Amino acid sequence: MIRYFFSVLGLLLLTFILRQFVPVIPNLYEARIFLVPLVFLCASVTLDVSGMLLLAFLTGLLWDAQHTLTPMHQEGVDMLVYPEPAETLKFGYSIFLFAIAGFVMQGVQPIFKEGKWQISALVTAVALFLYLFLELMLLFFIRGHFALTTNTLKFIFYSSGISMLFSPLVFLILFRLAKAFRYRIRYDGLRKQKRPLH
Amino acid sequence: MKPLNLIALLLFLGVGTWVLTWSPHTVREVQFTYYKAITPFLHGGSGIDNFARAFVKEVEHSKTLERKLQAIQENYEGLKIIEGRFLEMERENAQLNRALDFRERTPFKVIPAKVIKRQPSAWWDTVTINRGEPAGIGPQLTVLAEGGLVGRVDKSFDTDVAEVVLVSDESCQVSVYIEGTPEKGILSGQPGQFGGDPLLRVRYLSKNAAIQPGMRVLTTGSGRLFPPDIMVGTVVRRIPGSYEDEALVKPSVDLHNLNVVFVLTGDQPNETGDKAEDKE
Repeated sequence: MIRYFFSVLGLLLLTFILRQFVPVIPNLYEARIFLVPLVFLCASVTLDVSGMLLLAFLTGLLWDAQHTLTPMHQEGVDMLVYPEPAETLKFGYSIFLFAIAGFVMQGVQPIFKEGKWQISALVTAVALFLYLFLELMLLFFIRGHFALTTNTLKFIFYSSGISMLFSPLVFLILFRLAKAFRYRIRYDGLRKQKRPLH
Repeated sequence: MKPLNLIALLLFLGVGTWVLTWSPHTVREVQFTYYKAITPFLHGGSGIDNFARAFVKEVEHSKTLERKLQAIQENYEGLKIIEGRFLEMERENAQLNRALDFRERTPFKVIPAKVIKRQPSAWWDTVTINRGEPAGIGPQLTVLAEGGLVGRVDKSFDTDVAEVVLVSDESCQVSVYIEGTPEKGILSGQPGQFGGDPLLRVRYLSKNAAIQPGMRVLTTGSGRLFPPDIMVGTVVRRIPGSYEDEALVKPSVDLHNLNVVFVLTGDQPNETGDKAEDKE
């Protein structure tokens, strides 16, 4: 378990590098492949709760290191001129969002362990949609307004869908890692039970 | 729930909450460490990003060419493609010349920087540039391009990269005035503008403000963020409100296709809002 976890962590760090090379798709509402969340979601269905939470913590920490913006009021801006500076999400928020998405994936773990990874692949899209939607709602909440547009929903929808297409590949890599480090992801349902001959 | 899982969950909640309480200094340290590790790949990633954008442009360009080529003889097909590529190179050349010219013309002391990563985040309009602390770039410095205001530096690192938050982002607020009127307001981006040209919103205008589409919007210089009289955009539409009016503004800079930007260093001709106030 520990060796597998560290290999997954290595894969995740590699994904943080790879994501720098993934461009947005300008003609499709600027949708993109969310590689890091995808790998996290696929990995979280293969881990137990404590492993998933640890992974959520590390992923969220690194994710926020690149994404969070510095609030305007921290930089000595004249608050008389800017009476209502736009709030930004606090560093560390995505740790919790990753955990929520991870728990969604944990929900389909019994099916996954029966060898039906296809269901899990579909659920990655649902979990990613949920992650992005919650992140947006959180942003609306702290900024005190609600401005959900059709284009935003399309962006979330297409990004989740495109990312999901890559989930079989991620599962394949995870199965290879599990095999290499002798971690047992699937323990039943993979092989057809031979009925005893009467 | 198993006791071990419960303990893990409680531990997770505790540590997660602790992270939320980190000071800005600690956050910056973490971000600095992250960017230090990721910078070599950021430079590499920009190549792929540019390739993808060039590919999309090429596809769009090819469609236009196809329509033209149908009207002429097949013998000219190859020549037309070459001509198309030549035009693309000429356009790039003109763009670079304009950028160079802008640097010479501007009264500010500016540092040119290349955009190496566009839109790394889902909800924040930001770009990454290839100049950071070693070049004298620090947080909150104004970023310009040929045409006007681009945004402000959000964070910079000693690995020679910096993150710029664009004027189309909601968190980038700019104190502006509308030329030829006494109207002043706060301009910021609007959320959820995926797949189209972004429009900016100016708030806190007076009721029944006498503004017309096409009027220029410039920075006031108030608030210690941006120097005065920098072109931001032009008014597209006035939105009447119950107590105050708002206006939609088209940015003067093509924020989707930024290649070269200029970061204003501290030596600016006028750092106060006096000039804008004098105009009133």
